[in-house]
Amino acid sequence: MLLTTMVSTACVTSTVQDTRTGVTGIGEGESIVIMAKSYHLGNETEMKYIRCIEKNLSKGKNALNVLPHDQFIDSLFPWFEPRTAPAETKNLAKLMDRPGVADRIAEQGVRYIIWLDGDTEKVAGGGSLSCAAGPGGGGCFGFAWWQNDADYNASVWDLQGLESAGTVSADVSGTSFMPALVIPLPFIARTQSKACKTLADQLHSFIVQDETA
Amino acid sequence: MNRTALLGLLLAGWLSGCASNVTLDPPTIPNPLLKQIPMSIGLRMPENFQNFVHQELVYGREEWSIDLGRSNAALFEQLFAHMFAGVTVLGPEDDPQLLPLDALIETSIDAFEFSTPGQSNTEAFAVWIRYRLKVYNREGELVSNWPVSAYGKSQSTTLGGSAALQRAAILAMRDAAALMIMKFDNVTQISSLAGQSATEPTPAVIPEEAESGDSGVQATALEGSADETS
Repeated sequence: MLLTTMVSTACVTSTVQDTRTGVTGIGEGESIVIMAKSYHLGNETEMKYIRCIEKNLSKGKNALNVLPHDQFIDSLFPWFEPRTAPAETKNLAKLMDRPGVADRIAEQGVRYIIWLDGDTEKVAGGGSLSCAAGPGGGGCFGFAWWQNDADYNASVWDLQGLESAGTVSADVSGTSFMPALVIPLPFIARTQSKACKTLADQLHSFIVQDETA
Repeated sequence: MNRTALLGLLLAGWLSGCASNVTLDPPTIPNPLLKQIPMSIGLRMPENFQNFVHQELVYGREEWSIDLGRSNAALFEQLFAHMFAGVTVLGPEDDPQLLPLDALIETSIDAFEFSTPGQSNTEAFAVWIRYRLKVYNREGELVSNWPVSAYGKSQSTTLGGSAALQRAAILAMRDAAALMIMKFDNVTQISSLAGQSATEPTPAVIPEEAESGDSGVQATALEGSADETS
């Protein structure tokens, strides 16, 4: 299934897309974990973004049971460290055979691991803004702008079948402006926040298999 | 306050702003999921390993002093207590030959390096630590000499510079611990030394060339691979 939604606001454009490879669903007592793909693989996903996704998925009336990633990593030490974490679902079976791993995952009711990769980057900018201050006061004059792109991908692993359930991605672009005539007036595009909300909403629908989303 | 004194004060403040001191609290390694090796080992750590301080002038920017304190010692004491059935931490005066040990492990730091966001042009601090582990058998012969390279990275945006560097160092230590749990026995074959402590202690001396680190016994392991579960 491919779902593409284009949302345009004054300064932010977002695209969200999912690709399903398995049937999903989550039962009572089952939980999910949000993880960042290893920085050994060059991933730069911000901790702030991971916490934002965790927070968004665990709030509201249809909240999912989200296990904090730090707690999950510590409970399975050392098998989810950046060096040791499985990079592909085909490695899950061997991981589950390691002493205590399957039991620890079952104890915590973890059904899905969601691996995030991607980051938010400034991709363009321009304009000129200068400020000066003197004994009689100060002020700024000019105009500056910059564009941030937030591009994130989430791979959903189903620990019940030890297989991939699919991927969800969000690509958000936002342009911020700051005109200044004595006082600078910032118009900030909340690119990363938008990417967090968009991806979290789509992940929720993906996991609970809400066909109306 | 005269003008010169005020300028001096401002200059002192500016200079002190260019020095960063980071002190690490000893890390806590979570209880690892592993199969313990049924043997008794002795752990010997040199003085500078137990109070390691790294100082570096990042050219044209600022001076860093990173005090790892007892972090390294705490890491290895905790880790080996999980990995081996028995661990005895030896002082400088202790003779391992007089103790009922299967093997002796000596730890040291070959290198400590870090990078700041300004150097890497990213928002992250990174830390590299290269430990060296020497394993001796009951007779005091060097049986393995293993360099363990570890890496940790932490973004500065959420934690601030000092906290991010501390976090990167802790992650590097955890990385080293993960590598040792995975590879220690494969690389050093230490479990083959188990059972030697049942015999009576025999006087033996660790060879000087082994202590100097020039021994030809060198163990290597694949490091840096991101997915070693496969």
